[in-house]
Amino acid sequence: MASVGKIARRTFLIGAAAIAGGVAIGYYYYRKPYPNPLEGELAEGEATFNPYVKVASDNTITVIAPRAEMGQGVSTSLAALVAEELDVGLDRIKVEHGPAAYAYYNSEMLAEGGPFAFYNDGLFAETARGAMGALGKILGFQGTGGSSSIRDGFDKMRQAGAATRHVLVEAAAKKLGVPASELETADATITHKASGKSLTYGEVAVAAAQIEPPAMLKLREKAEWKLLGKPQMRTDMLAKVTGAPIFGVDVTLPDMLHGTVKMSPRFWSKPVKSDLSKAEKMPGVIKIVPLDTTYGHGFGVIAENTWAAFKAADAIEVEWADAEYPADSAAISRALTDALATQGSALRDDGNVDTAFADAPREKIVEADYAVPYLAHACMEPMNATARLKDGVLDIWSPNQMPTITRQLCAGAAGIEQDKVNVHTTFLGGGFGRRGEMDFSIYAALLAKEAGGKPVKVIWTREEDTRHDVYRPAAAGKFQARLGDDGLPVAIDMKIASPSIIASVLRRTFPSLSPVGPDKTIAEGSFDQPYVVPNYRVAAIPAQISVPVGFWRSVGNSYNGFFHEAFMDEIATAGKTDPVELRRKLMTTHPTALKVVEKVAEMSKWGETLPAGKAKGFAFTLSFGSWVGEVVQVADTPAGIRIEKVWIAADVGTAIDPGIIEAQLVSGAIYGLSAAMGQEITFADGMVEQSNFHDFDAMRIFQCPTFEVAILENAKKMGGVGEVATPPAIPALANAVFALTGKRIRSLPLSKEVSFA
Amino acid sequence: MSKCTKRKLRGRLWTTTKGIPMHLIVDGKPIDIEADPEMPLLWALRDLAGKTGPKFGCGIAACGACTVHMDGTPVRSCILPLREVQGEITTIEGISTDGKLHPVQQAWLEEQVAQCGYCQAGQIMSAVALLDEIDNPSDEDIDNAMGGNLCRCGTYPRIRAAIKKAAALKTAGI
Amino acid sequence: MRAFIVIATSAIMVFAMATWVLAQETQTPATVDAAAGLPEWEKIYAVFSHPRCANCHVEDDHPRWSGAHYGKTRFHAFNVQRGIDGSGLGNPGLRCMTCHFETNSAVLHGPPGAENWHLAPAEMVWFGKSSGEICAQIKDPARNGGRTLAEVAEHVRSDKLVGWGWSPGPGREPAPGSAEETYQAIEKWAAAGAPCP
Repeated sequence: MASVGKIARRTFLIGAAAIAGGVAIGYYYYRKPYPNPLEGELAEGEATFNPYVKVASDNTITVIAPRAEMGQGVSTSLAALVAEELDVGLDRIKVEHGPAAYAYYNSEMLAEGGPFAFYNDGLFAETARGAMGALGKILGFQGTGGSSSIRDGFDKMRQAGAATRHVLVEAAAKKLGVPASELETADATITHKASGKSLTYGEVAVAAAQIEPPAMLKLREKAEWKLLGKPQMRTDMLAKVTGAPIFGVDVTLPDMLHGTVKMSPRFWSKPVKSDLSKAEKMPGVIKIVPLDTTYGHGFGVIAENTWAAFKAADAIEVEWADAEYPADSAAISRALTDALATQGSALRDDGNVDTAFADAPREKIVEADYAVPYLAHACMEPMNATARLKDGVLDIWSPNQMPTITRQLCAGAAGIEQDKVNVHTTFLGGGFGRRGEMDFSIYAALLAKEAGGKPVKVIWTREEDTRHDVYRPAAAGKFQARLGDDGLPVAIDMKIASPSIIASVLRRTFPSLSPVGPDKTIAEGSFDQPYVVPNYRVAAIPAQISVPVGFWRSVGNSYNGFFHEAFMDEIATAGKTDPVELRRKLMTTHPTALKVVEKVAEMSKWGETLPAGKAKGFAFTLSFGSWVGEVVQVADTPAGIRIEKVWIAADVGTAIDPGIIEAQLVSGAIYGLSAAMGQEITFADGMVEQSNFHDFDAMRIFQCPTFEVAILENAKKMGGVGEVATPPAIPALANAVFALTGKRIRSLPLSKEVSFA
Repeated sequence: MSKCTKRKLRGRLWTTTKGIPMHLIVDGKPIDIEADPEMPLLWALRDLAGKTGPKFGCGIAACGACTVHMDGTPVRSCILPLREVQGEITTIEGISTDGKLHPVQQAWLEEQVAQCGYCQAGQIMSAVALLDEIDNPSDEDIDNAMGGNLCRCGTYPRIRAAIKKAAALKTAGI
Repeated sequence: MRAFIVIATSAIMVFAMATWVLAQETQTPATVDAAAGLPEWEKIYAVFSHPRCANCHVEDDHPRWSGAHYGKTRFHAFNVQRGIDGSGLGNPGLRCMTCHFETNSAVLHGPPGAENWHLAPAEMVWFGKSSGEICAQIKDPARNGGRTLAEVAEHVRSDKLVGWGWSPGPGREPAPGSAEETYQAIEKWAAAGAPCP
């Protein structure tokens, strides 16, 4: 068994390889709080109490929700955490993203980066989690991802609210000459009931900012919550129904120029020959700039308007070098299959799998090969950023999920120090992991260098966006099960091969570092599921294919959910066990999982006979700390298979906003169903073949099923919500299609074998 | 046809197209621009007229994020060349009157439809057009009207609910 | 919206008048010269059955997409339909003219365009039909918009939307020949007694 030190080092390198050796020297920094980034930018009469709260003398209360708002409702829920303790309604709070700052580190995002199942609370797993969380703090790693924001912010934001309220009350007590214990707070007002005197928060804000709050305050019990646990009106909704300029593409600045990029359609390839003359002469074109970055090579266009930039990019004539990776989808599939022939790292190895299979009679063995394609994120808002480099200061307006690393890499691109870079994070028109990348920001920064101090808004075309993604990796799996006489699995052996996301991320962000240790994302969703099988092995095999891959909503769970749960369905079929019954029998030691399975089975009336031409499929995935079961019902129609209804039961431990959680669960399921139905990114001649929504589409309203959602709170730890409904949606659909048609489809998208209405 | 001048950036000269003078009526207000007549309306609205409500999503009329109305009919502004613009343009920024939200916007707010929100301007403009013609749309009417508006967040169930609520609000004269 | 109603109304009127006029005429000359006529019909069939034409002459309510980058022939995406009023102009909220304007989009995969973009009436079905079936339809006033063959030929030569088939915009394969050649072929075919295969 690995020592704690070994695990800590390994997980550390996987989770964030940016600063090798950091843990050892880290304790000093861990204990030292980062400065409050709001102190430098207060308006007249405004006071700040911590990095999350500002109160102005006119009683305007601003909450900094330092996570990317990409639709998941994080700005509302983070603000609600503060508001709950501060005794104000959300309607009177102004929510801002705030600057890029180490103070806004996300420790939860890295805490689950280690190769441990979420339910594993043994010493090693907990120690590693602590080390990884500390690492997030040491790195000052401000990021949004891993469905971690609320878990990370749950205590931090409430403490911020409580501390602010505490000092405001202290200041009011002093001013009114009464004991603080006699004061009550409501609606941003402090009242002394006995005398009838009251003060607004704004009236005592400046005085209160001088008071040092206690390090830790007692937070309100769940039973006392007024806002939390209840659906809130989202603070961003009005802006979003009125077309307000809130997104990256909406940034408008004086003297602003416009731009776009044309990067090599073969990743990492450089131009062999290029002719810019035609493009340069086009009306409205200001400058064509060669771009050479760790993300790729190509050209940027600066123009007077976006349309002129698009047309000029089209007119650039380039011959690009050949691809360094297998150049077409067939060759990529072969590379994955070849990888499956190697050993890999067993992230789970219970019992003795080899022995269990050694004497297995043929008829007791279930075997299957599975595969999934690359996928694009296809955010509705194409990649973009706006940058201005003036007087040695780079301002960058970027819809991004990683402000501090964006700041670091853009500083490098502009050749200036990080403290001369201001990152303004706008709302994101979809993120799904794509906007945790830095390419769009770096390109804007490089074009700003050439724009003579003027701001440049750089918007990619949809084609550029589709063809220069960091894709959900393609993956292949080889699975075997040995059934016992009761039809239940005695042994399961799973091998999953996929390119390593961590290795890919490092190459384009911190290329001097090499990844060490297994990349758990390859097998997450397969190795860490709450099933008990006596002999159970899950191995991850990194495949060497250098097409850029990245974090796509639910990451490795997005395909392991399919692999694991479709294979479980095969086991159920082979063992003549009902799929839900199979889970009941294999999940006995995980009551949280069992309750989810029972709930979704009950909601969907699982087991009741359906009319001919209809069928249901079931799947369960534990990801990002939440336990999610889904049932999908399909119907055979003349136009194809129609997805009629989806039932979701999700145990998130503690539900902060049921309205937002319901929206996220439905959203996540639709994201998964879209991929399962018809999405794939394929390659020919080293280039992505798809380009826009006509050949990389997603579910439309007329294909959308109805949903029924149950949110459970039995789990003792809080889980995430943004990604957790995606993984089980895919196998639940595939299993429903099997139940309907008898076709066991082991390769996505399903549309290769059946058509959908 | 277009009038070209020279402009300067850090000692570099480039050709600027002032384009052809054009007169548009957008959200009830006249807007004069000079542009290449081939420029799609979306970019004229966004880059020249300061109307960023309509969004750029695909550039090929495949996602609906850029939807505006031309004399009441929904059009995808990302592929409508300026030379083909005939009629008054209404964007998401022009549908509320006297500071009061359009019933469709109000319904969107009440049903808490938007997630990332990027497609919603287009969704709302299509829904407004649908309700202009059909007072009480059925699920099928909604499916028939809204299939050109893609939402990657999957807000469709709430869009459906909001369109029905908007129909009720309109009928009630709210 | 006003424009839409005017178009729909006038289309219906033209159709009704033409049907009335046509009822008075005969479609086929007395003598049929199959040897001269059938090769001409083959040219006409090659045009009418071509995806640029047939994709919008469908029996059901769904125009089709086909060609490079669209995979095998499939329903037009986005649930685009003939329209609940049967007009062929699409549905409220999603008209053909929401995306298809008077000219082709210059952008690859952008929507094609021509004046009065709409789906052919449901009785004029070419998609998925055999040469013989299309041929019979062309001669049947009830299924050809109430036209004589001379009028069919003229319609093919001069209608802007029909003419689009030969200049369908970037990335799309045009229908074979040209409007003029197809006009000539229809004339010759009619003169040969309009034989069907």
